[in-house]
Amino acid sequence: MSVAVKLLITFLVFAGVAIAIFIVIAVSTKLPPRDQHEVQRRGYAIRGWWFMGLCLFVIAAFAASIPFYPYMSATAALAPARKVPVIAEQYAFIMPSHLPVNTPIIFEVTSRDVNHDFGIYNPQGHLMAQVQAMPDYTNYLRVVFQEPGQYSARCLEYCGIGHAIMAKTFTVGGK
Amino acid sequence: MIITSDKTGRRVMNLYMGTGLALTALMMLAGLMLRVSQAGWMPMSPGQFYALLTLHGAGLIVALMMCGMGGLWFLMRRETSLSASTAVVAYSLVVAGVAGVLISTLFGGFAGLYTFLAPLPFHGSWPNWSTGVFLISMALITLGWMAWCLQMLGAVLRAYGGLRGALAWDFVWHRQAFDASGRTAPPPQAFPALMAGFDGMLAGMSAMLLGVALIVRWMDAGVLINPLWAKNLTYFFAHTYANLIIYMLVALIYVGMPYATGRKYHTSAVLAVGWWCSMVLTLTNYFHHLYMDFVQPGPFQYLGELSSYLSALPVTAVTIFGALMLVWRSGMKWTLGAIFMYTGLIGWVVGGIGAEIDATVPFNVHLHNTLWVPAHFHTYLVGGCLLFAIGWVFLCVESRSQRRTGALMRWLISLLTFGGMSVFLMGFYCAGAYGVPRRYSIEPPPGPDLAKVASIGAIIMMIGFFVALLEGVRLRFGYSNAAACGEKIQGAGA
Ligand SMILES: [Cu+2]
Repeated sequence: MSVAVKLLITFLVFAGVAIAIFIVIAVSTKLPPRDQHEVQRRGYAIRGWWFMGLCLFVIAAFAASIPFYPYMSATAALAPARKVPVIAEQYAFIMPSHLPVNTPIIFEVTSRDVNHDFGIYNPQGHLMAQVQAMPDYTNYLRVVFQEPGQYSARCLEYCGIGHAIMAKTFTVGGK
Repeated sequence: MIITSDKTGRRVMNLYMGTGLALTALMMLAGLMLRVSQAGWMPMSPGQFYALLTLHGAGLIVALMMCGMGGLWFLMRRETSLSASTAVVAYSLVVAGVAGVLISTLFGGFAGLYTFLAPLPFHGSWPNWSTGVFLISMALITLGWMAWCLQMLGAVLRAYGGLRGALAWDFVWHRQAFDASGRTAPPPQAFPALMAGFDGMLAGMSAMLLGVALIVRWMDAGVLINPLWAKNLTYFFAHTYANLIIYMLVALIYVGMPYATGRKYHTSAVLAVGWWCSMVLTLTNYFHHLYMDFVQPGPFQYLGELSSYLSALPVTAVTIFGALMLVWRSGMKWTLGAIFMYTGLIGWVVGGIGAEIDATVPFNVHLHNTLWVPAHFHTYLVGGCLLFAIGWVFLCVESRSQRRTGALMRWLISLLTFGGMSVFLMGFYCAGAYGVPRRYSIEPPPGPDLAKVASIGAIIMMIGFFVALLEGVRLRFGYSNAAACGEKIQGAGA
């Protein structure tokens, strides 16, 4: 299953549950009305559980997400890797058009004019990694290309009226 | 409850909300043109596309903000003393700014976007004057906003005994002494008013700080602006503005839902604490806009995710839960006002779910600056904020009209509006999940096909809104003797 499908399913499941709850509560207005105090007494009890449950859920989700952060650790920065400079400018990426497969690569991404974003799409067209390209700063993005093929870089930060054509294709592996 | 004998207050609200909703309608048409262009049906040149996108974004943020400003001002005028002339001055500044934005985008072709992320405004293909007009216009809008915030903050602090009183601090921590002293806690809508005034001032000040820096840079090209500093300020104020729009319009829920359900809604300690949390978390959430800036200090990235997650707690456990408890087995009549308000809550929650997914750093790698971003904020702006505002207008009109909307008409409007909206929004979500970048005048596949689907959905939704407008006008012409009716309900309710 692709990342896209997983993200959509996650969203639709959560949204579906939320909408179902709203529909049930909406339909309840067709039943004989209840006294507000009675509703509140039971509602506050449910709210306590909801609050605790959601609290635990978000803290667990936060903890679970941390190992997958894309920021490079100090040890990863020191490990051997191919350094590849990427310079973004209106409306092009200046970078090599051929890169090795299964080799740790650190893209050193910067910009010559305005803010851009260096987004890498794999041969299936999925957005696999990205980092902002800023003037005056260099962002380091670590990537290991695990399959050979034709990749493309697209600009993902609006940078002027040529933004949509700012792309560069490059090959990985082969040769 | 809803009807008031305060004619001036109602006029100010009508001025703000009327302008806001009219501007919203215009900007929705502009948005439709953008989607139709992306679908390849009526292609625009990139220059036209991005100028229109700049207008669409700036216009809608301001339009919905005006709805919130007018609605909340009206509600708080019933509780505190607010001068109408100050509100009209604030309104005039905002409208002057909107006029400038229209001129700079439509005639000057300014396409530096509504976020005007430095240094882009100075590296464009549009004339230099349009950059200046745009920046000065945004500064005018911000000045109008800050005048409103100052007035609101002042009124709330005066009415409830300073910050301590407005926060309901003693009500929460020293309940017995508080009750014994004969004081009462501020009403629920006073919390969004305090938050809008306080957080709004902070956002306004950062916007002005950045705005002045950019205007100076516009006048003197030798001025250097640190791009990371500018980016932090940009997202701080833009994120706070966007969030305050929701929180301001939520005040309408606090008054509208009790009215619609015939139940009472009081300030509780939980509600107060929930709002304290929202006031703080809204200011720290903006870090999630800079996840892909790896030079941003690391702790902010963690704080961004944690704070974005935590802000779901007060929202769902206090406001949403409270509204659902009001509705549960209340025997509420599903008038159009009630339908729009209730569905607005759904849009708020669903948009929030989309936002939380995007606010998760590992997911953000795949979603940052894709169409997922407009997907979630259109969900809570169009499917939430706009519905709160329209719902409020309908509740007001319905409370004074002797005409009623038939069941068939209510179903028709609901199906067109919400059905069309779902199709329109799913076009964004699907394209975003597949990595289609946002802000592309020409999108890679599957963007154009989804833009076609989305355009059809948007047209159906807009037909629904138009039918609702006609029905609203029909109700409006069914007013009974307004003043007499107003006195009666005023006397019985408040
Ligand atoms: Cu770009």
